Amino acid sequence: MLKRPPTPVSMTLNLAPMVDVMMCLIVFFLLASKLADHAPVDLPWAAAAKSVKPGEITNPVTITVRPAGEGGDAAEYLVKSWDGQKVTEQALRPQDIDPLLQSHAARAAREGQQLRCVIRADRAVRYRHVEVVLRACGLAKIGSVVFQANQGVEAGGGA
Amino acid sequence: MRHRLAPAAEVVPNLAPMVDVIMVLLVFFLLGASLNLVEQGVLQTELDPSSGPGGGAKVEIKPRITIALQDRGNGAAANIYVVDQEIGENRFDALVTYLRDRVRAGADRENPVVVGAETEVRWQFVISAMDAAVQAGFRNIQFAVSMRPSGG
Repeated sequence: MLKRPPTPVSMTLNLAPMVDVMMCLIVFFLLASKLADHAPVDLPWAAAAKSVKPGEITNPVTITVRPAGEGGDAAEYLVKSWDGQKVTEQALRPQDIDPLLQSHAARAAREGQQLRCVIRADRAVRYRHVEVVLRACGLAKIGSVVFQANQGVEAGGGA
Repeated sequence: MRHRLAPAAEVVPNLAPMVDVIMVLLVFFLLGASLNLVEQGVLQTELDPSSGPGGGAKVEIKPRITIALQDRGNGAAANIYVVDQEIGENRFDALVTYLRDRVRAGADRENPVVVGAETEVRWQFVISAMDAAVQAGFRNIQFAVSMRPSGG
C-alpha cells in the first residue's frame, strides 16, 4: 500500500503579538525615561516662564535644590553636568558647589564657551538654600542663570 | 426529504488582542497620570558678575527698582515691598500692576530690578517676584545675595 506524503503545513509567523509587546515596551520606556530624567522636584510656578526645547540651553550645569529632612529646613543639592563625554549627576555638600562651578567655568572659558547655570529649586525651599548657588555663580563669574519653573499659575490660586 | 440543520458553529471570541490593547492603554494612562503633565519653562536672566561677591571692579549707577520680600508665618507668606513702599502679603498681582505703571511712567525696561529676600522666604515667592518683573517687561533681573554664607 502506497503512503501519501503528508501535505506541507504552511508556516506563517503570526507577528501581531510581537508587535503588541514591542509597542507596550516602547510606550513604557519612552514614558519611564521622561520620569527618570531628573530628580523629582516640585517646581515653582511662573506665568512668564518660556518653554525651551531640549538642547536649547547650551553648556548647562544643572543644580537641583530640594528639601531634605522634616519641615524643609534643610536642603540637598544635586548637580547634573556634562563634561564633554558623559552626563553625571551627584549629590553635593553646599561647600562643594563653589569649587565645582569654578572648575566648570574655568573649563568652559578654556574652550571659549559660556557656561549656563540652570537652577531647579523646589518651591518649598528657603531663599538661603538657593542663595548658596547664586553666590557660587557670582564667585565663578557665571552670568547666565536660568531658573526652571512650571508654566502658568498654580491651580487653586497659590502664590 | 428532510434537511438536517447544520450544527451551529461555536463562536469563541479571541480575547488576546483585546487584552493586549487594554494593557497598552492601562500602562499609558498609569504612567501618563503620574507624569504631572505640566509644561515646564524657564526664567532666564543675566547676572552681573562684576557686582557679585567675587567682583567689585566697576560701579555703574543706574536707576533701579528694588523688590524686598519679608518672610511671614515661617514661610507661609511673603510681604512685598517695592522701593520701600509696602504692597502687601502675597500681592504679586498688585506687584505686576505697580511695575507696569512704572514702565508706563517712563521707566527703562533695561534698568535692573533687584529682588532681595529674607533668608527664610520660600523660593516660590522669589520666583513669583521675578515673574512679576518679567511680566511687566523688565529684562534685567538681579538678586541680592548676602556675602555671609547662610544656606545648607
